[in-house]
Amino acid sequence: MKKQLLIMTLSAAVLMISPVQATDIRVGFTQDVLTMDPANHRKRETETILRNMYDGLVTRTTSMEVVPEISKSWNVVNATTYDFKIKQNIKFHNGDTLTAEDIKFTFDRLITENAMDGQTSPRKSLLGPLKTITVMDKSTVRFEFETPWPIFTAMLPFQEVVSKKFVEQVGTDGMSTQVNGTGPFKLKEWRKGESIVMERFDDYYGGASDIKPVGKACVDRVIFKVIPESASRVAALLSGDIDIMVELPVHSIAQVERSNIADVMSVNGTRSFFMSMNNQRAPFDDLRVRQAVNHALNKALIIDRILDGRATPISGILSPDAFGHNTKLKPYKYDVDKAKRLLADAGYPNGIDVTLDVEGAFKETAEAVASVLAKSGIRAQVSVSESSIIKGNWRTSGKKPIEGDMWFTSWGNGSLDPTGIFEPVMMTDARGNSTGFSNAEVDELLTQASKTAIAKDREKLYQKAEKIVNELTPAVFLWVPQDIYGVSKRLKGFKPSPDSKINLHDVCAS
Amino acid sequence: MSFGRFFGRLLQLFPVLLGVGFIVFFMTELTPGDPVEIMLGDTQVTEEQEIALRHDMGLDLPIHERFVKFISNTVTGNFGLSFYHRRPVAEVIGERLPATIELSVVALIFALITSIPLGVMAAIKKNTLLDRVATVGSLFGVSMPGFWFGILLLLLFAVKLQWLPVSGRIGYDVEVPVVTRFLLIDTLLAGSWSGFKDALAHIFLPAITLGLPMAAILTRVTRTSMLEVVNQDYITFAEAKGLRKRVIIFKHALKNALIPTITVAAIETGSLLGGNMIVETIFGWPGLGRLVVESIFIRNYPLVQAAVLFYAVTYVMLNFVADILYTKMNPKVEL
Repeated sequence: MKKQLLIMTLSAAVLMISPVQATDIRVGFTQDVLTMDPANHRKRETETILRNMYDGLVTRTTSMEVVPEISKSWNVVNATTYDFKIKQNIKFHNGDTLTAEDIKFTFDRLITENAMDGQTSPRKSLLGPLKTITVMDKSTVRFEFETPWPIFTAMLPFQEVVSKKFVEQVGTDGMSTQVNGTGPFKLKEWRKGESIVMERFDDYYGGASDIKPVGKACVDRVIFKVIPESASRVAALLSGDIDIMVELPVHSIAQVERSNIADVMSVNGTRSFFMSMNNQRAPFDDLRVRQAVNHALNKALIIDRILDGRATPISGILSPDAFGHNTKLKPYKYDVDKAKRLLADAGYPNGIDVTLDVEGAFKETAEAVASVLAKSGIRAQVSVSESSIIKGNWRTSGKKPIEGDMWFTSWGNGSLDPTGIFEPVMMTDARGNSTGFSNAEVDELLTQASKTAIAKDREKLYQKAEKIVNELTPAVFLWVPQDIYGVSKRLKGFKPSPDSKINLHDVCAS
Repeated sequence: MSFGRFFGRLLQLFPVLLGVGFIVFFMTELTPGDPVEIMLGDTQVTEEQEIALRHDMGLDLPIHERFVKFISNTVTGNFGLSFYHRRPVAEVIGERLPATIELSVVALIFALITSIPLGVMAAIKKNTLLDRVATVGSLFGVSMPGFWFGILLLLLFAVKLQWLPVSGRIGYDVEVPVVTRFLLIDTLLAGSWSGFKDALAHIFLPAITLGLPMAAILTRVTRTSMLEVVNQDYITFAEAKGLRKRVIIFKHALKNALIPTITVAAIETGSLLGGNMIVETIFGWPGLGRLVVESIFIRNYPLVQAAVLFYAVTYVMLNFVADILYTKMNPKVEL
């Protein structure tokens, strides 16, 4: 009895002296948000942070499936009309209840010229030919498009819902620094350039029903700390200053793994790397030379040695995770003799001397590529320059000839739908076309696909287009690298997402 | 110095600034790279959407019209909207400026309080071990690249010893009422001793990294000018009078020896602002330098132009201050 009493007293004492400690998750992030207004920026990183405070009509799971979030479900009425059912009793951070009017207002604000106190949303083009939004009843909103736009639901996770009343009250100016969303966390403080401190929103409706657990966020606070330099982020992770570190450099992986403090996690990214070849002039106007470069490159070796194995090789522009990806594409085999033979056939028995443009961040990889190519007589001189300058020389949209021989480049495709990458990179004179590739059949297939609503038919069109591009190989398709994170062992439930979102609703900390 | 002369000197600043404005505008606008393209990033857009965005950013006007607009706006203190933040540039810069100034001032103080005693001691005890250490140390300080030294300090003090934090200006738990926007002052005004200590711990490593090259230069300057001064007749005379060595050094020699040090310090303060860009990146310091570098990469013209103008004004003003200090300390020189 005495013993029991003692234990009880002791445990009561312990309970009394242990302070109520707030659990925090601190993320070491590369940059600050540009604005708190989800409609007034065009920056992936800004969206990643805002997404913890603002929810959308739909969201993505970590396996990239689009699922309802604020909406309950949606219904494709016809190729140009979508109806969304809205969940009821969703609260904004200020206590107001979300209505269908808020949804309409959010999207009107995004697509209407000068709707934001004289400014037009820079996110307008992410909604394609969206024309009108109509409130059908208090739980249904209708979206109508000028022309069919089959990727609507794939693009919808990029938009967040705002409160009509709040925006009208604070204006676009106020929206840039204040947050009143429906997300799991509310803004506590924005120390510009330094950190964003968020607190749990206790009236949260729970989020997407398809992403378990549904309910309030697990931790009390989330802090995004801005640490642009990767070596400093590693230092912060190892000293326990942060719990999640983004963009862990390959050369620091071993250091983090050895540390006992954090784990390394990675996930397939959505950015396709490729080496553009200037198809407009010699030597790369000759298919045999382009094939030779493909055979001369030992992709597996570079992925293994330079990228620590953390990349997936590709044989076309699409990521293996993308919709419409053709699994039957034939990879070009590494074959030095065949490369040499193809070069000789094309009239270059002594090989070729070319330049390989690259921006500073990928210099090391490009140099490795060049040294491998040299074995087959493709002597590429790596030329490092700033990305905006190189882009001006290569992505000319047909307005002037492309300058350069080869370019080590990439294109991101957060939606994982071919529209976001295949069209801009491979269509004739498209804004991301850096090879000068122009093929009427591919253009036709892609145009047709962008208007086809039935997924199976669309898929087939893209697969056909991929096959042609793979054979004509205007670029050497390289790999899709993984996004690498350092994650503290004190976190539970964090899973990196291919679209690089860091949604901390379901993550707990000990 | 007469007021007229002072005013005349001040007027000379205007042509300088106009010239800087001209160069800044055309250098940023003529650098290859299209802000609209960069902003659109990796997305599929129609030509109409691109034109609309270009119009929204004011980039559809011909360059001479934009220049006239830039100059007339600048005169009225309006630097336009930042392309990316979509807020007035002056506001965005204003948010970052206090951090940069605070860091520069602390770095300057660090440089002064280390370099002057060290330089003086090195001169007095010429060719001793202390002199050698100071000389080699300052060579080390000048030649050390900030991005390397900063990381080294981080690894030692933040990761290994865990004495100091890695990044930021103050812990996110510390609440500081905003008065001057300089955290070291605001925490003291609020009577928060722990907040002050936290801010000090945060600024310590960045300030040392930033101030070290300056401290090194000033040590050398102080040593050299001190050596020159102590060999002059009036010092020999003071010695002959039988004054105590300490009095000679601090009362007679130092006053003259510090003239070059102060001049160089005033000019070098400008370079602290420039050096900030690297230090701010390493230590996640939310200052202007980092913002400017980021803005250059994404061709955020309005912000770069305003910031460079600001740097230019600061440089010119610091030079001006150096001149005035010089005349104050050496009456033989006039403005």
